[in-house]
Amino acid sequence: MVDVGYFALCFALVPAGYAVYASIIGALRNQQQLVRSGENAAFSVFGLLSIAILALWYAILTHDFSLAYVSENTSRAMPIQYLIASLWGGQNGSIMFWGWMISAYMTAVLFINRYRYRDLMPYVTAVLAGYSLFFIVLNLYAADPFVRLPFAPEDGNGLNPILQHPYMAIHPPVLYAGMVGMAVPFAFAIAALLSGHLDSNWLRAMRRWLLIPWAFLGAGLLLGGKWAYVELGWGGYWAWDPVENASFMPWLAATALLHSMMVQERKGILKVWNIILAFFTYGMTLFGTFITRSGLIESVHSFAQSSIGTYFVVYLGFLSCGCITLLVYRLPVLRTPSRLESFASRETMFLLNNWILLGMLFAVLWGTLFPVFSEAITGDKITVGAPFFNRVNIPIGLVLLLLTGAGPLFAWRKTSAEGLRRNFAVPISAAIISCIVVGTLGVRNLYAMMSLTLCGFVVGSVALEFYRGTMARKRNSGERIWPALLWLLTKSRRRYGGYLVHIAMVLLFVGFTGKAFTTEKEFVLDYGEAQQIGRYSVTYEALANHDDAHKFTSAAALSLYHDGEFLATLLPERRFYHQSEQNTTEVAIWSSRLEDFYLILVGTAADNSAKFQVYVNPLVNCVWAGGLLFVFSSLWTMWPTARERRLAFMDREVALGEADISQLLTKT
Amino acid sequence: MESLRRYDVLPWKNIKYYMKQYKFIVGSVVIVSGLVFLFASGVRESSAHHMTLSMLANSETSQLAGKRIQLGGSTVVKGSINWDEYRHRPTFVISDGKRSLRVKYSGNTVLPDTFQDEALVVMEGRYFANNDVFDADVIYAKCPSKYEGKSYEGHIAAIGDPISL
Repeated sequence: MVDVGYFALCFALVPAGYAVYASIIGALRNQQQLVRSGENAAFSVFGLLSIAILALWYAILTHDFSLAYVSENTSRAMPIQYLIASLWGGQNGSIMFWGWMISAYMTAVLFINRYRYRDLMPYVTAVLAGYSLFFIVLNLYAADPFVRLPFAPEDGNGLNPILQHPYMAIHPPVLYAGMVGMAVPFAFAIAALLSGHLDSNWLRAMRRWLLIPWAFLGAGLLLGGKWAYVELGWGGYWAWDPVENASFMPWLAATALLHSMMVQERKGILKVWNIILAFFTYGMTLFGTFITRSGLIESVHSFAQSSIGTYFVVYLGFLSCGCITLLVYRLPVLRTPSRLESFASRETMFLLNNWILLGMLFAVLWGTLFPVFSEAITGDKITVGAPFFNRVNIPIGLVLLLLTGAGPLFAWRKTSAEGLRRNFAVPISAAIISCIVVGTLGVRNLYAMMSLTLCGFVVGSVALEFYRGTMARKRNSGERIWPALLWLLTKSRRRYGGYLVHIAMVLLFVGFTGKAFTTEKEFVLDYGEAQQIGRYSVTYEALANHDDAHKFTSAAALSLYHDGEFLATLLPERRFYHQSEQNTTEVAIWSSRLEDFYLILVGTAADNSAKFQVYVNPLVNCVWAGGLLFVFSSLWTMWPTARERRLAFMDREVALGEADISQLLTKT
Repeated sequence: MESLRRYDVLPWKNIKYYMKQYKFIVGSVVIVSGLVFLFASGVRESSAHHMTLSMLANSETSQLAGKRIQLGGSTVVKGSINWDEYRHRPTFVISDGKRSLRVKYSGNTVLPDTFQDEALVVMEGRYFANNDVFDADVIYAKCPSKYEGKSYEGHIAAIGDPISL
C-alpha cells in the first residue's frame, strides 16, 4: 500500500507537467481538444495525490513504523482522531497534504467553471497544475513522507501531548485550505494577463475563490488562537509570533483585494492595483510558508529547519520575475480610463481602506522581518516583540474600524454635503451613545474607549443600511418588516452578507478591546483557604494525584464564588506524560457571557499547598462569537443566488451543445 | 476625461496630473508619516538585541548594562533546572556547547510546557555582569529535537542509510 502511494506521488509528476503544457499550448493554438486533455490530466493529478494521501493514512492507521514519518509522528497509544490528524502534523506529511489540497482546489475550480470563462480556464489550469507540480517535486526531493527506515521500531515517538487537542487537530487543515486557496485568485489574474481579457471578468470569476480561502484563513487563525487560549496557559490567544504573522499577512492582503475589486467592477478603475494585490496575496502565502519553514526567522513554534527553503526561494523568484514581466507587458492595455472624481466618494473610502490594510500588513511584515533587516544594515540583530505590534496595529486597527463604519455612508462617485449629514446622523449618534455608556461603566483607557465608541459607530452605520434596505423593500413589495429583511439578506447576499461580516469584525474588536481590562493575580493557598480576586473568590478544597500508564496527573479542586454565590468547582491540572517526558498545564476556565475566569495550577509543594495563577479576561467570548459570525456571514455572502445558478446552468447547456441560446433565453 | 497615451500610465509622465490631486497627496503624507512615527516609537519601546552566548561573552560589559537582550541559540543544561517551591520561577543553566550561563526567570507567565531539560530556549531580559547571571522575563522554549523536527539526517547518523523503497 505504501509503495502504491509512493508510485502515485511519482506518477503525479507526469499529468501535472502535461496539464501545464497542454493547457497553455491548447489555449494559444485554440485547440479545444488539447485543452480538454489538459483538464483531464489535472483531474488525474488529484486522483493520484488522493491515492498517495490514502496510502500514508493507511500506513499511519496500521502503525507501519518502518516509515520514518509514521515512527516520528505517531505512536500506538494515540487515539484515532490524532492518528488521522498526524497526516498533517509533521513537515513532510503536511507538504504532501498541501500539494493534495492544491489539486483539490484545481479540480473544484475546473469542475465548476470549465463551461464558463472558457477563455481564462486553460491558464488557470496551467498555473494551478504548475503549483501542484512544485509541491510534488518538493515532496519527492526534499520532503519525502514515504522514506523507509532499515528496520521497523516497536513503537513511534508519538505526538507531543500539547498538540493532542481537538482544535489543534483541525486548525492546520483549515489554515492550509486558506493558504492554498489564495493560489486560485492568483491563477485567474495570470489568466487575465495571458489571455489579454483584462476587463472585470476575471474578478467575477474568482470572487468566490477568494472568499472561500479568505474565510478558511480567518477561521484557521481563530482556531489557532482558541487552541493557544485553552491549552497553553498564558491567558491569551495571540502573541504576534512569526508563524501567526505569516498567515495573518495573506489574510490582510486578501481583505484589501476583496474591497478594491468592488471598485473595479463598479467603476473600471484600479485594474493594475487589483492584479498586483492578487499577486501579492498569493506571494504572501508562499513567503509566509518560506520564512517559517526555512529557519530564516527564529520562531519557537515553527517547523524544523530544512532544505525546502531553497526550493521556495527559487519558486518565488521565478514567479516574481514572470509576474512582473507579464504585468509590464500588459500595462498599456491596463491603463485606466477614468480616475477618482471626488474625495467624498465610496471609491476614496475603498482606496483608504486598502491603504490602511496594507499599512497594517506592512507593519506586521516589518516587525517580523526586523531582525533580518537590522542585521543586514547595522550588523546588530534587533528583534521586536508583541508591544511593537500592539503599539503600531491598535491605532491602525481603530482607523480601519472608522472606515468600516464610514465607507457605506458614502455614495459612489460623489456624495453631497447634505447627503453626508443625513447619512452620518444615525451612526454618529450611535457612537456618542456607546461612548457615554462606556464612560459611565467606568472605562478610562483611551484606546478602549475609542474602540468601543467606533464599534457603536459601525453598528449604527450597518443598522442604518439594513433599515433603509428593508424599508425600500417594504414600500415596493408591500412585505412586512421581517420577511422584507430576510429577502433583503437573501436577494442581495453580497452586499448585506458583507455588512454581516462587518458586524463580525465589530464583535472581534470588542473582544480584542477586552484585553485592555485583563487582570492577573498569583497566590498560594493551603487546604481550605480562600482568595479574593475582584468580585470572584476561590476556595482550595483538595488536591488529588493520579498515575496511570500514560501520565501522572495532579488535579486541584477549587470552589468558585461570585459575590458569595457558588458558581462551579474548578479542576485545573498539571500532567506529566511518561513516554514523551513532557509536562502540560491544563487550565480550568469558567466562562460567563461577559468574562472568563481563567485558572492555572502553577505547582504544588510537599505539604499540598498550591500556587495558582488567575486571569480574569473580560469579553473574550466576543472573539469566538465574532469568529462564528465571520464564518457564517462569509458563507452567506458567497452562496450562489438563484440567478447565478441559472446562469451557470445555461452556460453548461450551451457549452455541451445540448441547447441553443435562443431556447434557453425564452425559458428564463 | 482626455484619453491617455500609451505610456501615460507610467507615474513619472503624469507628475502634473498628480500635482492637481493635492488632497490625495496630503492624505498620503499624513498616513505615511503617522505610520513612520508609530513604527519608530514601537521599535523604541520593545526592541531587544539578539545575541548568542558567544556574542555575549565577547561584548564589553559597559555595552550590555541596562540593554534589553534576546538571548538565543542555547539549550537548557540537563539537570540544572532548579524550581522554586511551587514550580513557578526556576533558575537554570544554559549552554551552547562551549560556554554556559546562569539564568534566573523573573517573569509572571507560567513557563511554556516545552520548557524542560535540553530544550532550546530563546529568552528576553537583561544581563548582569557583576554576578554573571541573565535575568529573563520572557522565555520561549522549543522541545529538544525529539518530536517535531527529528530529521532523517539524525536517523541516518544514528542507524545508517534509510532505504527509500
